[in-house]
Amino acid sequence: MSDAVLDKQVKKQKTRNRRVDPEIGVSLSWKTLKIQKQLVLMSVPIAIYLLIFNYVPIWGWLMAFQNYRPALSFGQQEWVGLQQFRFLFADETFLMVLRNTVAMSFINLVLGTVTAIGLALLLNEIKVKFFKRIVQSISYLPHFLSWVIAAGIVATSLSIDDGIVNIVLMKLHIIQEPIMWLSEGKYFWGIVGASNVWKEVGWGTIIYLAAITSIDPSLYEAASIDGAKRFQKMRYVTLPGIKATFVILLIMNIGHILDAGFELQYLLGNGLTVDWSQTIDIFVLKYGISMGNYSLATAAGIFKTIVSVVLVFIANYIAKRLGEERLI
Amino acid sequence: MHKTAKRSARAAAAGVLALTLALTGCSSNSNSSKGGSASPAANGDDKAPATFSVFMAGPGQQPTADNKILKLIKEETGVSFNMEFLVGDLQQKLGVMIASGDYPDIMSGDDKLINAKAYIPLEDLIEKYAPNLKKHYADVWNQIKDESDGHIYVLPAYGVYQGKITEPTYQGPGFWLQKAVLEEMGYPTPKTLDEYFDIIAKYKEKHPDMIGFESLNFDWRVFPLQNAPEHLAGHPNDGAVIVDNNKAQIFADKDISKTYYKKLNEINAQGLMDKEAFVQNYDQYLAKIASGKVIGMFDQHWNFQDGETSLISQGKIENTYIGFPLLYDGAEEWYRDRGAVGTNRGFGISIKAKDPVRIIKFLDQMITEDWQKTLQWGVKGEDYEVNEDGSFYRTPEQRANADQTSWQLANKITTMQGSMPKIQGTYSDGNSDSPGTQPQEFFDSLKPYDQKILKAYNKKSWSEFFKEPKENNIYFPAYSIVLKDGSAAQLAQSKLNDLQVKFLPKAIMASPDEFEEVWTDYVNQIHKLDIKAYEDRINEGIQQRIEKWSVK
Repeated sequence: MSDAVLDKQVKKQKTRNRRVDPEIGVSLSWKTLKIQKQLVLMSVPIAIYLLIFNYVPIWGWLMAFQNYRPALSFGQQEWVGLQQFRFLFADETFLMVLRNTVAMSFINLVLGTVTAIGLALLLNEIKVKFFKRIVQSISYLPHFLSWVIAAGIVATSLSIDDGIVNIVLMKLHIIQEPIMWLSEGKYFWGIVGASNVWKEVGWGTIIYLAAITSIDPSLYEAASIDGAKRFQKMRYVTLPGIKATFVILLIMNIGHILDAGFELQYLLGNGLTVDWSQTIDIFVLKYGISMGNYSLATAAGIFKTIVSVVLVFIANYIAKRLGEERLI
Repeated sequence: MHKTAKRSARAAAAGVLALTLALTGCSSNSNSSKGGSASPAANGDDKAPATFSVFMAGPGQQPTADNKILKLIKEETGVSFNMEFLVGDLQQKLGVMIASGDYPDIMSGDDKLINAKAYIPLEDLIEKYAPNLKKHYADVWNQIKDESDGHIYVLPAYGVYQGKITEPTYQGPGFWLQKAVLEEMGYPTPKTLDEYFDIIAKYKEKHPDMIGFESLNFDWRVFPLQNAPEHLAGHPNDGAVIVDNNKAQIFADKDISKTYYKKLNEINAQGLMDKEAFVQNYDQYLAKIASGKVIGMFDQHWNFQDGETSLISQGKIENTYIGFPLLYDGAEEWYRDRGAVGTNRGFGISIKAKDPVRIIKFLDQMITEDWQKTLQWGVKGEDYEVNEDGSFYRTPEQRANADQTSWQLANKITTMQGSMPKIQGTYSDGNSDSPGTQPQEFFDSLKPYDQKILKAYNKKSWSEFFKEPKENNIYFPAYSIVLKDGSAAQLAQSKLNDLQVKFLPKAIMASPDEFEEVWTDYVNQIHKLDIKAYEDRINEGIQQRIEKWSVK
């Protein structure tokens, strides 16, 4: 009921002032600034921080249009226009790398979200608190491992000598001979997806669990009175209840679609799987930073940023059209 | 206090002067006589404590706090060090160092750092303050200059010989076989790939648990997979190219490569190749060798030596290796080479160093024979003894000590010494540079098992399995020719490497009837690259070296 009203209000103010707090619904005017001057003061350090660390470095983007050499001063750099970008898009490897990045990111996004929501729903149904906590702790602990260690664990479990994965599959008679998982490109995306789920599922679940707890219990009671069973309550109460969270997270994650990761692919990849394992970040390291070609690395970085910004706006726009919560 | 201030002012002034001289491009060829007048006594007054930060471009272990050599150096020269060893990926580390401009005082040489102008030119400093270094490098003075601008940025650590060259252990490339295998097969001497793999096949038949042939395709250590063809065809290790009549060309797409990888493809089909060879990292590779299960591999000795060290400490000396120079029909052997001056491998002084004069004086002191003996042999009476005829030797206890890592950390500075200028060959008193190269000391230090094997082959040292090295070509080795950062040549080299890393394992692991197809694909991919840019740059470098390096 109140949702629609609030929404309209927000929209109206939005035309006047961009920054609106949808919760309070107050516009950002000089008057409010004055009233909230403590708040404003408190946000000054953060604004400065953002300025220094997130906006000033954009100056470095100029490198992408130069043949940047570290030792020379700005005036001595050689300007090459769009040559670096042209190199990137003409390069077969880059296109392959782009494909890998998007594919692995997409797999991670879908698998990560689905498993996190799934686990949150299941955990929510558990009545024994002790058991619930144990499961939660165990599932989010891998999040704190560095990828170096995690990749070591993954590689060991996939080894043909005495890797647990091959042992289990052999014992279950699913495969006849141990499979060299890391030598085949076609398995690579799956391995990355599964490793990510293993490492991050518990962590991703936390936010959904929090969203679930904020659902009004009376909705469940009403559903029970209407004769809803457990799965129906999940479907008609819990899931719509966390929809807003889901959409916001989706928009945010879409912004990172070109960050498929670096460490795992770098550590697990090898010559045989390079066509599937190399991501943009590895490409940048190899052809940019390692070869002293910082301009190329910057150009790839700019490309990533622009794609991300565009994607976020698209996602945001779609969310808006669907009448959902949105980020911007 | 007062004294220190005065000295540092003087040092700074000297540094500035040296830099000015270097910048104005003062020629340094003719006035070597001037440097000769600076006597060691002049170094004597520089004993005030100083600490230099040192970056070593390789992994290593920090010497213990009370390290004997470091203590001695501190007592005698006042110098102590803040050592940083490489952790993780070198290229990444260098990239960060260059980007931040944050350099330690002393850094191991690297082309990347040279390109970034991270070192100060040394020739005038040497001329002025380092008579011993000047003498040490006199014969190769032209060679150690950077090819692009003619300055000396790095003092090469290896390849400057004096006296006689005695090298009983062989560190270079070869086809290796376990001693136990050789013993059981009746001490054969394989000369061709067929004979070599025949030995492996026969042995593996009897011992199915063993791994037949091992290889490595990881990170920058891809040469075990890439370099074999050039050696089989009778060329020395010039990297990715073979050079005939001073003309370089890549060999990755040539028949000498195809023959070799086809053979590997065959032995893979026979189950002789380690299945995981191309999936494993360097640590796993070493672990396999250290397990004693690997019958043979192609590699450079130093690259798998850590695995052998582990075998020795486990007491499995029969599982260590002997290298053989296999050849194609009609090829002339050139596995062993005379170590070329490692132009850009050694210590350089960074532009951030506060007291370059002090550093160069320190390094100059270290190159004197007395210090060299201390660094390489140790302390007389503690680490080695002297015969009545003046030749150095070690007692069995001293040898046993020297083999232990923990002892080394407290009594040697192995890693740092690796990058320091050093005397190789023999000292003026006839002793070899280090215990490992003293012929009699070497043979005596061998375990009875090794002595038995050598006797069976009627040889006295491991390097005798290879022919005496021919005289180096003047440009040798071609792989050390610098490619400009971001140039087409560098890009082609990098892409060629990527193709090899990807396609060679594919070709080897393909079923034999698919080999041709994979190979054709691979060669086609290579021909898409700008290989000419790479070959042209290497040829240009060769010509430059022939011109500039020729000793007058």
